[in-house]
Amino acid sequence: MKTRRASKLLIEPPTSATGDIAFNLIVFFLVCASVQPDTGRKQTIPRSEKQDQQAKAENIEVLLTRGAVAINGNPVSIVKFPTQIKTMIDAKARQQDKVVVVKSKPDATYQHWITVTSIIEEAGGTITIQREEERAVVLPD
Amino acid sequence: MAMGDIAFNLLIFFVILARAQDDSHVNWQPAKTKILESAGHSKVSIVIDSKNAVHLNGKPIGLAQLSPAVEEILGTAPAGERGVLLKVHKDSTALHFEPVIEAISEAGGDLVHILEKESP
Repeated sequence: MKTRRASKLLIEPPTSATGDIAFNLIVFFLVCASVQPDTGRKQTIPRSEKQDQQAKAENIEVLLTRGAVAINGNPVSIVKFPTQIKTMIDAKARQQDKVVVVKSKPDATYQHWITVTSIIEEAGGTITIQREEERAVVLPD
Repeated sequence: MAMGDIAFNLLIFFVILARAQDDSHVNWQPAKTKILESAGHSKVSIVIDSKNAVHLNGKPIGLAQLSPAVEEILGTAPAGERGVLLKVHKDSTALHFEPVIEAISEAGGDLVHILEKESP
């Protein structure tokens, strides 16, 4: 007598599309990795021509050189700078008086500039920049 | 089956194409700071590379043409949509980055410095 065998065939899933799927996954993750959002710091810099000369004279002035910083002409160590600038900014009652004029020597680095301007903004100051060629040059008579 | 793949690849293609201001080929290292926020999306990206050359949306540009070019791209965009991403090499000097900041200000752009988180 012939017995009927149970059909237990091994069926492999189709693998022809595996390559396509792998390729699409690679492209997808490459794009995801390259579209990372940028991070940074927003900065509002008022235009210098809006200020009159008298107001400029009353503003706090910060001078940047390559590795040093000075407030109103007095050199300050970078460690003491946050406390000193905060005290000076807090002493100004009106918001429009809390403008800090940042002057940079041509060799001052961007990293140094960012460090100092971050401290000023954290202390509540508004930054305005004054470039070397904009500064008044007093010629001898 | 293949239709889905084709649609997906087209989608990826247009996503890449939309990033017209790609400046990933420009060599620069960001400065570091403690507090950072998301820069958001912007139509304008300016890079000052390690050789102090200025690039607007990935293309080299002279300082004199920078302000009009930024103004043209921003057009009549309302406040809040006038963001300009500024990517300056950390060792670049004031001689090079201050005129660029001034040009952005002249063009009426909202300046966003692109920086990196300072490791503690």
